[in-house]
Amino acid sequence: MRSGAISFRGFTWRPVGRKNPTIAGLDLHIEPGERVLLVGPSGSGKSTILHAAAGALGTTISGEATGDVSVDGRLGLVLQNPADAIVAERIGRDVAFGPENLGLPRDEIWRRVDAALAAVRLDYPRDHLTSALSGGEQQRLVLAGVLATEPDVVLLDEPTSMLDAVAAERARDAVLAAVGDRTLVVVEHRFEPWLDHVDRVVALDPGGVVGFDGSVAEFLASGGRPRLWMPGAPPPTPIEIPAEFVSPAVVPEAVDASDVVLTTRMIRGTRRHRALSGFTARLAPGTTTAITGPSGAGKSTALLAMTGLVRVSGGTVTPDRTRMRSRELAREVGWVPQNPELGFLTTSVREEVERTASVLGVEVEADELLALVGLERFAPSHPYRLSGGEQRRLAMISALAHRPGFVALDEPTVGQDRDTWAVVTGWYTAAARAGAVVALATHDPDAPRDVEIAVGEAVTAT
Amino acid sequence: MRTLITRVNPLVLLSVGAFSLIGSFAVRSLPVAAVTIGLYALAALIFLPTWRYPLACLAFSGFAAVTIVYSTWRLGGQNTEVAAVAGLRILVLAWPGSVMVGFIDPGRLSDYAAQTLRLPARGVAAFSAALQRFSGFAQTWESLERTRRARGVAPGRHPVGQVKHSGSMAFALLVQAMRGASSSSIAMDARGFADARGRTWAEPATWSRMDLAGLALAAALGAVPIVCFFAI
Repeated sequence: MRSGAISFRGFTWRPVGRKNPTIAGLDLHIEPGERVLLVGPSGSGKSTILHAAAGALGTTISGEATGDVSVDGRLGLVLQNPADAIVAERIGRDVAFGPENLGLPRDEIWRRVDAALAAVRLDYPRDHLTSALSGGEQQRLVLAGVLATEPDVVLLDEPTSMLDAVAAERARDAVLAAVGDRTLVVVEHRFEPWLDHVDRVVALDPGGVVGFDGSVAEFLASGGRPRLWMPGAPPPTPIEIPAEFVSPAVVPEAVDASDVVLTTRMIRGTRRHRALSGFTARLAPGTTTAITGPSGAGKSTALLAMTGLVRVSGGTVTPDRTRMRSRELAREVGWVPQNPELGFLTTSVREEVERTASVLGVEVEADELLALVGLERFAPSHPYRLSGGEQRRLAMISALAHRPGFVALDEPTVGQDRDTWAVVTGWYTAAARAGAVVALATHDPDAPRDVEIAVGEAVTAT
Repeated sequence: MRTLITRVNPLVLLSVGAFSLIGSFAVRSLPVAAVTIGLYALAALIFLPTWRYPLACLAFSGFAAVTIVYSTWRLGGQNTEVAAVAGLRILVLAWPGSVMVGFIDPGRLSDYAAQTLRLPARGVAAFSAALQRFSGFAQTWESLERTRRARGVAPGRHPVGQVKHSGSMAFALLVQAMRGASSSSIAMDARGFADARGRTWAEPATWSRMDLAGLALAAALGAVPIVCFFAI
């Protein structure tokens, strides 16, 4: 019998600190070689199902699991946050980690490493530093690491969510070519491009219940499920956020960047990495500017340089906020980081929203803000208990609740379903309408914008 | 010459610290202590690509040394020379090793630990992955600092605020490290680490002439105080 089957029987999962299970009585059987697309709104338990298949629930992740999960054969898993999966300083050795575990001889290890790196089109030498890769490149590296073990089952959690359209297509082709006739389960919000390549769609409804399970044709004929990014549907209209929540509490000031260069340096002083070169932009009040470009080109770095949160190595940014005191800077600039977890300062969702505002002495209605972004029921929860998409929304309102004049968002629309996407985009467009300077680093072509600035080709280490 | 350090094998780098540790026990007089530290500093100038990094390490081990000097002076009959020697001994013990650690590539170290020293493969691989995460901490720290600054909670110049802030940052880093570690272990297990038997290594652990010369130099530096101890 071929290996690669996955089967859930009456599987229920209740994480520590939650009253209700996030997955309730799941029955799901996936045949060897089947390609399944797993979709569902933000927070519906998609990642949890992948974690369950990987055997991490109840062991590495604490909580209460009942029922059965079984996976037949070797499993390969690509998680949402690629940085956590990197085990080596150089890309070649990182990919080699799996083959080494399998006890393969040296020539076979390097054959697989080269093949896997080529399959994901990561065109760097084997000794390229993993720390010099962008988020999107890291995701491809992790995928290469999984492919090199030649698994029977491949589980991918939003594998292309951080990639621009071109890179996403490449990554998808790479996955599909490399997966061959193995079992594939892929979780994705923007799933349209996957539909031609999967046999079956499983849609989760909130609460971890299967709302649809069938072929792609049936799925499309059924009209899909609410909140999903169904193919062909125009992007949702950003929701109206009342001006009182977003209109700047300070006078917004235009930001000018002129020929900005940024290099980062390893502590050992032996290597330099150029993160940005010759970036010029002007951000005007009342305008939304999207910083776009291929993954690895320095979108996030450009955004950071504009906020004054990093010192530039060359060129100028005006106003220069790098020497400003934290409070003064916070009053003027709201920065929403790409990885929301790095920004959390408190132990409850409500306190998180109130934190910056209370430091600055600005009044905020935390419960109203939470209700606007659909997180009101989590107010007493710990921020870490939220799903990826929920955390991003929380990080956004926590950074912007005090109504800064310069709103800077790093990939704010990643991991959002249609409804939550409309909230996120509604928030910053409303801020711009109310006069704020708005800039976002994004690869989402649908995210509304007035002006677009493309950062150049991926810049490489010197 | 100044990039040689990045080309010798990690066990040689570790041996620098090990030999200095052994040698430090023989540091018994001020001239010997001064000569030993001087030789290590000279070696640092010749072989290291940067002088800032060893200087930073010197500041850290210097802090330890100063506390030793003070307590020895207070408790050891207020003898300045004995106290100074005790302090310099700590520098000989800690400084060379602390500098070398910064130049070790965790991946290469695990190659040598498993293949030259024949340590258990799984333990070595896990250790190396952990060290890799360690180098990521610098980046995480920067990101944490940046978000805190943007959220208006970074401290001003007030020392009390600074200390409190460092405490809260360290805690946040710890939390991040723990959360990252669980994702990391899921990802590693999903790449065959959970049931790795007879693990192999992608790169061999070779000993070149340069490695041997490095080892000899490390031994020689460590031997300076010992030779002096017996000679004088």
